[in-house]
Amino acid sequence: MNATVEQIHEAVRRIGEAREAVFQDRRTDATISALAHAARNWLDPASPWRQRAIEQAPSATGFSSAMVSEAIDFTFEVITEEALGELLDAELGDRRVLDEFCRRGQARTRAFGPTLIAHFLAGNVPAPGIVSICCGLLLKSANLIKVSSRDHVFPALFIDSLRAVDAELADCVAVLDWRREDVALTQTALAKADAVIAYGDDETIGTLRRMCRLGARFLGHGHRLSFAVVAKEAMTADNLPSLTEAAAFDASVYDQQGCLSPHAFYVEEGGQLSPREFAAAVAKAMAAYQARVPRGDLSVEEAAQIAKLRGAYEFRSASDKRVALWASADANDWLVIYEDDPMLTPSCLNRVVFVKPVERLERVPELVRRFAPHLSTVGVAPLNARATELAGKLGSLGVSRVCAIGQMQRPPLTWHHDARPNLADLVRWTDLW
Amino acid sequence: MNKTAFQLQDRILSLIEQGMARSTTDPEFDALARDVFAFQFEANALYRSFCVQQKRTPETVQHWKHIPTVPTNAFKEFALTCFPVEEAVTEFHTSGTTAAKAGKHHFRTLALYDAAIRPNFEAHLLPGLAGRAAHPFMPRQMAANGPDSRSTILRLPMFILTPSPEEAPHSSLAHMMGVAAKQFGATGSGFYVKRGALCVERLVDALQETERTRRPVFLLGTAFAFVRLFEHCAQRNLRFKMADGSRAMETGGFKDRSREIPKKELYGMFEKFLRIPPSCVVNEYGMTELSTQFYDQTLSVDRQTDEKTAPPWSRVLVIDPNTGKEAAEGERGLIRVFDLANLWSMMCIQTEDLGIARGDRFEILGRAAGAEVRGCSLNAEMLSHG
Repeated sequence: MNATVEQIHEAVRRIGEAREAVFQDRRTDATISALAHAARNWLDPASPWRQRAIEQAPSATGFSSAMVSEAIDFTFEVITEEALGELLDAELGDRRVLDEFCRRGQARTRAFGPTLIAHFLAGNVPAPGIVSICCGLLLKSANLIKVSSRDHVFPALFIDSLRAVDAELADCVAVLDWRREDVALTQTALAKADAVIAYGDDETIGTLRRMCRLGARFLGHGHRLSFAVVAKEAMTADNLPSLTEAAAFDASVYDQQGCLSPHAFYVEEGGQLSPREFAAAVAKAMAAYQARVPRGDLSVEEAAQIAKLRGAYEFRSASDKRVALWASADANDWLVIYEDDPMLTPSCLNRVVFVKPVERLERVPELVRRFAPHLSTVGVAPLNARATELAGKLGSLGVSRVCAIGQMQRPPLTWHHDARPNLADLVRWTDLW
Repeated sequence: MNKTAFQLQDRILSLIEQGMARSTTDPEFDALARDVFAFQFEANALYRSFCVQQKRTPETVQHWKHIPTVPTNAFKEFALTCFPVEEAVTEFHTSGTTAAKAGKHHFRTLALYDAAIRPNFEAHLLPGLAGRAAHPFMPRQMAANGPDSRSTILRLPMFILTPSPEEAPHSSLAHMMGVAAKQFGATGSGFYVKRGALCVERLVDALQETERTRRPVFLLGTAFAFVRLFEHCAQRNLRFKMADGSRAMETGGFKDRSREIPKKELYGMFEKFLRIPPSCVVNEYGMTELSTQFYDQTLSVDRQTDEKTAPPWSRVLVIDPNTGKEAAEGERGLIRVFDLANLWSMMCIQTEDLGIARGDRFEILGRAAGAEVRGCSLNAEMLSHG
């Protein structure tokens, strides 16, 4: 699996040559349709790539095969012709602008993608890496992919599936792996890249940023924290089953390891039902999701984190009525902790979620302010005028997306990932007067 | 209740005084442990609520292994005593980091605590020193140990790399060192941490003097303090050759203050800088929330080992964190301690340390921290360190 310096050189040369040949007179529409076609193929239960992913991904990612199957759907169902076109139109003004000069105001202008994008993927959630590759191909770039040890399955299989649809396009991507500590290999990969898309912890992102060549575009995606807010209007008996099913879904998908996974639910007091009733219902829904899509096996360290948290709250809950918890019966499959301390408490992950009462929704921004630099997505129910007001306040803190509970894990392709555009930051423009 | 409690204390004391030679049978331990459980259930309302919530009470628990355990972090939130807390004669505090709340262990009396130190310490740290009365250094009657056949033991000067108990009255480690020094230390023993810093120059002088007189020495302290000493030795290019029979005891306690050093590397430094071989260095596992310490068997089996045994008045289980049940032999899990000497606080303690059990022996692997992040979400661990 470990690439050598020579292999990286060779891959960069190969995809560079392919790019020049392939994109010379290829229209973006053709790329859109090939990517959408390849993605659509994954949704077919008989797809060989889907089957191979379900076979191979659990050991690498730590997800159950049912979870991998869900992940495939969530990843590929958003990659449609319509959505890819919309993404280009939204970010670049016109999808044809990568093919020809298009009128914009007084001038005509044309966009050019980077020559070579180096993608450093991280973690076990497949969607960001797959979308990254699609973006690179839309921009007519050569793409060098350094996969994560936690998911060396999806990127390579996706390129295989693309090859079946459009071999030329697939030739513009090379998927490699090497150990993060092999600085010489990373330097080789970065030497010619004029754009870098990097995922990982702050330290990894910082290191890669420093190693980029002068003038290279750098898009860093650090680890993030998400949470959700339930307004009292949503706390009705009619609404509770569907609301808590959606909440449990958001908290359980990807075993809560995604940056869009909620750590906590703030529930406003004063509704028809209490925040504690919400917690009990979420627990029930977590159990139902677990029955359908089991959580993956945990390392001893991960399980110990849950055991530690569960032990502490169990002891407290015996004598402190401001605390309550609901846990799966035999194993630590999931855990819901109700606690009336309103400060945001980050979870140890793997389907451990906090429910916290809050007297007024409007207080939430101040309760999460401490985590502002790390915030990603906030799920809100219901999405009404108060939610819009709240979204503005959360946005000023740095939150990049406010959406319905149940949709947290499924951002549209056009969302501003980490509050920035996906394509617009990578192109350069030539104006023609 | 007091009468029963003091009777229980007498039973535990007499068990401790029997020493380390014979382990308790399961029924023996069970009888005592369940009596202690009944007392603690009665005496502490918090614990009682917890047991009731767990549906495990003195009526329903049929074996000591099923007695509800208290997580160590509960000592940060609550005064977990089986007596009125204002009657405490001593309290030991966990060191913790500045942000975290300290855990407190309150004592009605130190009788059990002090009694539990001696036989355990002697069995694990002083082998090879008994019956060498012909040796020129201060043979000593061990009258306190009563019928023990070994009537003499060689006292070594103990250089202790912790603060003295007077300076750190809330440190269980300092207290333990104080008891051990009084009981087993020769003249010249002393504490080498003052106001939070290792008195490294003074320690070096003492080591040089001991080296000159070719007298064996006993060094005891936190791994962190030893690392500090060895760093100093490396900087000054100092190497000592401590006399045969010298030994060392090191105990956890890095507490984020220094880079974590693997045990093997640390023991290599004892050899390199002090000429104390790994077969004469013993790791101690202790914690503020307990009254009993656990030691590597290295000196008692005469070879370096990471395996420990529990003294007869205690039991150690390794718990699979996924199931809450005992881990299979040889599998990693969380260390759970049943310590009868914790009569006045909480007998059953769930630690946050990982370990492995092999038969009646166990190995401590350290804090269960730093679970690898698999996805792209931050977790509590990263945020608390970042």
